[in-house]
Amino acid sequence: MPNIKIASQSLDFHYGAFQALHQVDLNFEEHQVTALIGPSGCGKSTYLRCINRMNDLIPGARVDGRLTLDGEDIYAPGVDVVELRRRIGMVFQKPNPFPKTIYENVAYGLRVNGVKDKRVLDQSVESSLRGAALRDEVKDRLESSALGLSGGQQQRLCIARALAVRPEVLLMDEPASALDPIATQKIEDLIHELKRDLTIIIVTHSMQQAARVSDRTAFFYLGKLIEEGDTRTIFTRPRNKQTEDYITGRFG
Amino acid sequence: MQQRIHFTQKLDELRMQLIRMAALTEKAVHDATRAYLENDTDLAESVVMNDAAVNDMEDAIDTFNLELLALDQPMAKDLRLIIGSMRLTVNLERIGDECVNLAHRTLFLSTRPPLPANARMERLCAHVQDMLTKAVRAFVDEDTVLAGEICAMDHTADELSLKVLKEAISTMVEETRIVERSVHVIMASRHLERIGDLATNLAEAVIFIKEGQNVKHRCKG
Ligand SMILES: Nc1ncnc2c1ncn2[C@@H]1O[C@H](COP(=O)(O)OP(=O)(O)OP(=O)(O)O)[C@@H](O)[C@H]1O
Ligand SMILES: [Mg+2]
Repeated sequence: MPNIKIASQSLDFHYGAFQALHQVDLNFEEHQVTALIGPSGCGKSTYLRCINRMNDLIPGARVDGRLTLDGEDIYAPGVDVVELRRRIGMVFQKPNPFPKTIYENVAYGLRVNGVKDKRVLDQSVESSLRGAALRDEVKDRLESSALGLSGGQQQRLCIARALAVRPEVLLMDEPASALDPIATQKIEDLIHELKRDLTIIIVTHSMQQAARVSDRTAFFYLGKLIEEGDTRTIFTRPRNKQTEDYITGRFG
Repeated sequence: MQQRIHFTQKLDELRMQLIRMAALTEKAVHDATRAYLENDTDLAESVVMNDAAVNDMEDAIDTFNLELLALDQPMAKDLRLIIGSMRLTVNLERIGDECVNLAHRTLFLSTRPPLPANARMERLCAHVQDMLTKAVRAFVDEDTVLAGEICAMDHTADELSLKVLKEAISTMVEETRIVERSVHVIMASRHLERIGDLATNLAEAVIFIKEGQNVKHRCKG
């Protein structure tokens, strides 16, 4: 029996009066990559941000239904949101390194979590940079500013930063949309590597990317989950007409 | 999705080319069978000559498909149309080849005294023509029910060709002078039977394009 890492049941989400998600039922298996696809504004980012409670701070935001991590309610009272976000890391569309050194960017999460031991920090920075396939490119300039890195390197730095706190789940919102084909390839290779240790949910507008990196694909439209299934099936013979229209580029 | 309009036009163009190639093949089967049954050597020669056009169309459609795959990265039903169309062209091209083979039998037999009319061969000719026509219509109309019927028709083609064989063997035993001609009749029936098989492959490709189901090897009993 595959282990369900994250599950949403009848998930509704409102931005004030506007309902952005309708009754989303979706399971994410451990060590699988799931791609979320759908036209702009269909609620992919909203859904992703529900999972690590990034929407909490938005005024008027309301979550109904159930979202669980390892069977436990993510929205239960008493859940430590800092610890939740340690377990569920996130990488954004635009790389957002802090204006600090490369080393400090990666060590940041550990410092927030109270780690002070220099040896532990060194080791973790080293292994996270390696995990993000960036170490060889930056190992001689860990003390230079992260802002001097290329876009693709910055994005991998952000992945290293997310990995440093040893998350169990990685949420990626269009992580390669600002990158060139080579940097994109590196991120995609990385996703394949990372899924050995992590469960990954990735939002992408590139059908080819979804097809290349994911095991499962979920298609959203107007805040609803329209179809979810094995990526091979979704891209060769989807069941739903709207899914087919979207992935063959005939939408709208 | 503006850029997809252009792609959709290319798929329409692909469909048109397939229909054109199918029409050429249908004509080849029509002419080759008529030439055989009526001993028409001019018509048989024209079948041999015209086969180059079918081959050219296969090459053209292959190139077209290769470009579609490389430049447009089709998905789902579009991808199935392209893969399916490659199957269609391969089988249409082979039907063309069998028509040429049949034409060669006609040309050979015309150099020998005529054989009596063979009702089974007449039925076989009509039957495989019907199979091909239906397969092409199934493609044009995306009609998988019709495609399924073609698979069932293949039995009759097999049976008829087997009967031609048995009948020819018994006449050869009775009269050795017609052995040579009878061998050519048997071969002609094989070509026809093969056209039936290939038309069945066309029907299977139609089902694949429409439903994504691979019914290859399942159809034939
Ligand atoms: N902070 C907000 N306040 C109000 N409405 C919002 C807010 N954020 C998003 N929305 C609305 O919610 C809907 C879903 O937005 P969301 O960002 O989740 O879409 P998306 O699928 O990620 O789109 P894209 O592919 O463009 O990133 C949209 O209609 C959007 O306008
Ligand atoms: Mg988004």
